[in-house]
Amino acid sequence: MRHALPPEDLARDERFVRNSFMVRATDPRLTAMPAEKRARRAPLNPDRADGPEAARALMHGIFTGEIQALEGAGRTCWDFPIGDGADEAPFELKLDMARQCWDEARHCEISVKLGDWMGTDIGEFAESVFLYEAACNPDPVLRLTGVNRALEGLAIDVFNTMREFGIQAGDPVLEFCEDWMLADEVTHVKMGSDWLRRLTADDPDRRTRALEFQRVVDKLFSLGGARGEEDDSPIKLARRFRELAGFNTEEIDEIAALSTESRQDLADVQDRAAAQAAATTSGER
Amino acid sequence: MAVTVTPETFTMVLFDQPTIVASVSEIAAKVGMGDADIVIEVAEAVPLARCRIDSLDPITLSIEGGAFEDPRNPRQLSEHAVIDTVGRLLLQAGDRLDPAFGDPPEDGDIDLAHRVAWDVYAVGRLQQLGYESQRQRRLYGFRNRHGFTDAADDAFTRLWTGRDLTWDDITRLSDDALAVRA
Repeated sequence: MRHALPPEDLARDERFVRNSFMVRATDPRLTAMPAEKRARRAPLNPDRADGPEAARALMHGIFTGEIQALEGAGRTCWDFPIGDGADEAPFELKLDMARQCWDEARHCEISVKLGDWMGTDIGEFAESVFLYEAACNPDPVLRLTGVNRALEGLAIDVFNTMREFGIQAGDPVLEFCEDWMLADEVTHVKMGSDWLRRLTADDPDRRTRALEFQRVVDKLFSLGGARGEEDDSPIKLARRFRELAGFNTEEIDEIAALSTESRQDLADVQDRAAAQAAATTSGER
Repeated sequence: MAVTVTPETFTMVLFDQPTIVASVSEIAAKVGMGDADIVIEVAEAVPLARCRIDSLDPITLSIEGGAFEDPRNPRQLSEHAVIDTVGRLLLQAGDRLDPAFGDPPEDGDIDLAHRVAWDVYAVGRLQQLGYESQRQRRLYGFRNRHGFTDAADDAFTRLWTGRDLTWDDITRLSDDALAVRA
C-alpha cells in the first residue's frame, strides 16, 4: 500500500458528488448577494424558519466529515514508520489513531442513521474533502494539529450546536446521538493537544510551525465567521467542551478572534465587490 | 396560458430559462393550473431558498435562487427542485383561489406551524400525483414544529394523505398536535 493517498483517490461510490472548496469560494453570489440578504444570518436553532433544513444539510456535512476523519486517522496509522523522528510516529500515537478510527467508524454509522431519521439520502448534498486534505500533511504533528485540534475542534462546536438544536426541538434521537459523538470528539481533540505537547517538547520550532498550521486551518474553516461567538453566529464556539479537550482560555480567545477576522475579511470582499458593481453600473449610464 | 420566467438569461448561476419554463408548464398542467398565467421571478444572486406567492392574478411567484439549485452542484439547476418548489406554491395558490378552501392569512402573516402543515398538505398532493417528495424529510420538518409525538405523526399522516382539506382542517390538525406537545 502506498503512503500519503491523495484526496482525489479516496474511494466513493456513485452516490457521492465532490466539490472543491474553491468552487464555493469563487461563487459570484458570495459577493453579489444583496446586503440585506447577507445580514439574514442567525444561530442554527429550530426557531429559524429554515432550521430543520439547515440542520439536515449540516448533518450530511458531518457524515462526510466522519468518513474523512476515519480515512485520515487510518492513514496516520500507516503513513509513518514507528519512531520519534520528524517523519515518524510513536507506536502509542498510532494506537490512539486506531482508537480514533474505531470511533469514527461508529460515527459514520450513527450519521447514516441520523440522516435516515432527518430524511436525508446519502449523497443528497455535495462532499467537500477539506478535512482529509488537512490530514495529508507530511509531518505527523502538523497533521494532528490541523485535524485533531483545528477540525475536530470545529466538530466540537458543530456537535454542540446540533445537540442544542435537538434539545430545543425536543428531538430525543438527535440530542442523544450528538451528545455521544461530542464526547468522542473531545477525546480526539485532547489526543491532538497531548501529542502536540509531547512531540514538540524539545523542538520549539516544530511546535511553532504546528500551531501556525492550526491557525491557518482554524481561520479557513471559521467559514467566514459562521463559527464564532457573535450573537448571530450559526455555529457557536463551545468553550466548555474545548476546555475539556485541552484548550486553554487564551487559545480559545484566539480562535474566536480568528473567526471575527474571517468574518470581517469576507465582509470587506463583499463590500468591495458591491462598490465595484455600483461603479460599473454608474459608468454604463 | 403563459409562463414567464425572469431573468431570461442567468449570469450568476448556470440556470437555463427554457428548462425552467418547461418544468413550470409541466407541473402547472399536472396540478390543474394549466390555464393560468404564471410569472416566476428568480433572484439569481441569492443562494438562499425562500419563496412566496406575490399575487394571484397573474400568479406571481418570487423565488430565491437557492430554491432551484442542485444541492450537490452549486449554481446548477435542479429540475426536481423547480417541480417541488413551484408545484407546492401553485397548489397553495389554487387553494387560495378556491372559495371552499377558506381564507388563510397573507403569506407573511401565517404562523410557522400552520405554514409547515400547509406545506405538508401541498407536497403530499404532489406525491399523490406521482412526484418524488421526500416524505421523511417533510415528517422531520413537521415534527420540529409540532413535536416528536404520536399525535404529531398522526396529524402529519392526515395532511400528507389528505384531499379536499380546508384551511380550518389544516390549522385544526396543526393546533391539536401542538396542544399535545405543550
